[in-house]
Amino acid sequence: MDKTMNQENRKAENKKRTTQRPGTRRLVQLYAALLYNANLKGFIDGHIYTGNLKSVCVPGFNCYSCPGAVASCPLGSLQNALNAAGHTLPWYVLGILALFGVILGRTICGWICPLGLIQELLHKIPTPKIRKSHITRKLSYLKYVFLAVFVIAIPLIYGVGKGIILPGFCKYICPAGTFEGAVGLLQNPVNATSFYQLGAVFTNKWVIMLVIGLACVFCYRCFCRFICPLGAIYGFFNRFALTGVKVNPDRCNGCGLCVMKCQMDVKHVGDHECISCGKCIDTCAQGAISLKCGKITLMGPEIGKNADPEPVIQKRKKTGRIVWGVAIAVLMFAVCWFNIIEPAIENANEPAAAIEQVTATSKPEAAGQTAAQTVPETEKQTANTTEPAETKAGEPAEQTADTTEPAEAKAGEPVEESPKAQAAAVNLPVGTEIGNLAPDFSTDLIGGGNFKLSDYRGKVVILNFWGTTCAPCVEELPYYEELKVKYPDCEILAIHAKAGAKKAEAFLADKGWDHLDFALDSKEKGVQKLLDVSEALPSTIVLNPQGVVTYKAQAPLTYEKLEALYKEALADPTGKP
Amino acid sequence: MTRNKTFLIVQSVFCALIAGLLAAAALQLYFDGAAKQAEGDLFYYMYTREKAGEKLLPILPLFFTALGLTLAGLILGVKDEKVEKPVRDEILLKDLGSIQNKAVHQTATQGELYARVAIITLAVCMIIAGIINGGLEDVLAKGATICTECVGLG
Repeated sequence: MDKTMNQENRKAENKKRTTQRPGTRRLVQLYAALLYNANLKGFIDGHIYTGNLKSVCVPGFNCYSCPGAVASCPLGSLQNALNAAGHTLPWYVLGILALFGVILGRTICGWICPLGLIQELLHKIPTPKIRKSHITRKLSYLKYVFLAVFVIAIPLIYGVGKGIILPGFCKYICPAGTFEGAVGLLQNPVNATSFYQLGAVFTNKWVIMLVIGLACVFCYRCFCRFICPLGAIYGFFNRFALTGVKVNPDRCNGCGLCVMKCQMDVKHVGDHECISCGKCIDTCAQGAISLKCGKITLMGPEIGKNADPEPVIQKRKKTGRIVWGVAIAVLMFAVCWFNIIEPAIENANEPAAAIEQVTATSKPEAAGQTAAQTVPETEKQTANTTEPAETKAGEPAEQTADTTEPAEAKAGEPVEESPKAQAAAVNLPVGTEIGNLAPDFSTDLIGGGNFKLSDYRGKVVILNFWGTTCAPCVEELPYYEELKVKYPDCEILAIHAKAGAKKAEAFLADKGWDHLDFALDSKEKGVQKLLDVSEALPSTIVLNPQGVVTYKAQAPLTYEKLEALYKEALADPTGKP
Repeated sequence: MTRNKTFLIVQSVFCALIAGLLAAAALQLYFDGAAKQAEGDLFYYMYTREKAGEKLLPILPLFFTALGLTLAGLILGVKDEKVEKPVRDEILLKDLGSIQNKAVHQTATQGELYARVAIITLAVCMIIAGIINGGLEDVLAKGATICTECVGLG
């Protein structure tokens, strides 16, 4: 009888050991993933969160270009900061990493890293598993190589040495960026034009993501153990971290079962490889291990001969329930704030002062009617032979739909638009899609002056949206300069995205792009929002002489493409649907 | 071979096959596109939503089958049982030597405490210095725009 009861007790104890702890941890992991990605509406509307909270980094690995992300990725921010180390020392990001490291250490990896959660879920797929060995232990040092080469050396060498923005790890390896950022954005039909810029980089990263994902199915936390530079950074702090698994030396008998059952490549509990998952707490028959934050025990031995006393366990559980209550309230508030309250506040403060819609001069008679439907073929032929119209800034070409004589192009004189083309443009719906008449706006230029879109009617206008932190943007700006030099009639306005606009002026000072007009966007001006340009940079809009959108895409352009787009806009009076 | 092992192997084949097909699809789109671009078609896009959809659609049945198998395996408790057992890699155990668990004290040593306080102080000072020198704005600038080169778009 006693024997049967003992067997049942042992079975119950074993079940408790294997099921209780991962459950709590899994819930915390899910909670963290949801909190980091509380901007749920981003998955629906295809836009990322651009609020001020993005100036703060989350502790775990979470791509800041994920539509749901409400804060920045610490590793991406570190690479960006090292890239810019030539003019701004990276104190802020280093300070944040040190603070996270010393408070939480690699507990972050085990408990609040969304990428860790994904890896563990993949490892749940029932397949034969590769266990840790002396080989995996050696491979675990590989992540320090990734840290040194891709996170530190490449951004520093390219950023400081050559002035090229190159976040090495993000660009060539990071599977979180591919999965959360690229796939997260591309799955939404709103970002269909983002497909146009996919090429070698995407193909490379896609394959890497699949390889890492597949490896995680067979090998526990494969990315975390062998590749993750963030884990390598936090590993340096693990010894001093306030939070982590600790051992009671009076109880530990050095049997080593904790290490032999641990799936990470630890040498002892709490070393730089330990992610404080807490599995060893249940493994230890001596009850010697506990998860602590300072002097507070977060998880202690509940079974075995040295189990914590029942009142202590009950008190811990009661505190845990209160903490969960607060945490859920915080999550609910975050979800409401990012999805309902903040957008409502933003809509209420919608910018209006600097923006004028051209509805007064162009009333769409049939909304949705395409240019091809409204313009006869003869009109296209006329436009093909028309030279680029010369219109001085401040002297807008008047739109007179009742004019019947076609304008003749004479060198050195302002040329009015072809009346039929004007008439066609008047019949177009105002919008930002190809074939629409672009809405008018005005904005101040860097270095003085003002740009009003309607002032450039009669010229091909190219609007380029860029950012100093965007490598492809900076690479393609010289092509715009070259185009402007070759085709002075083409009007090019490069608008810096509202984020980081303060530093754009200093950035441009020594670039020598004197032929281009530059403007800074801001929340108040809202040009990017008015023209419905994605947060993905660079984005380019080409308008033909009638102000009709002939090209709009988020993709870096080469000089050849740019020239072809210019010529196409010049030849096409209506825009290609 | 037990039924358990067969299930695990079948599931492995499914996973490898799905990953392989997804990789092959991307590589095919890329090489086709590269060839077209080499012919001089400036505006030929390697990837479009439609092309991606065409490539992914045939893989979906395989994916759902694997998903179903995974769920069935999890419900039935099918797993590689050696995972639960302690590691017996002789070289690893020899390398580990005696487990130095006692070095990870329950309470921090005086030296560790000093180091902790020093790091926290230093970190706070660095954050303040970073806010002053514009590092915070840099993080915001990068985070508030889609980093196309970071996510693999460009």
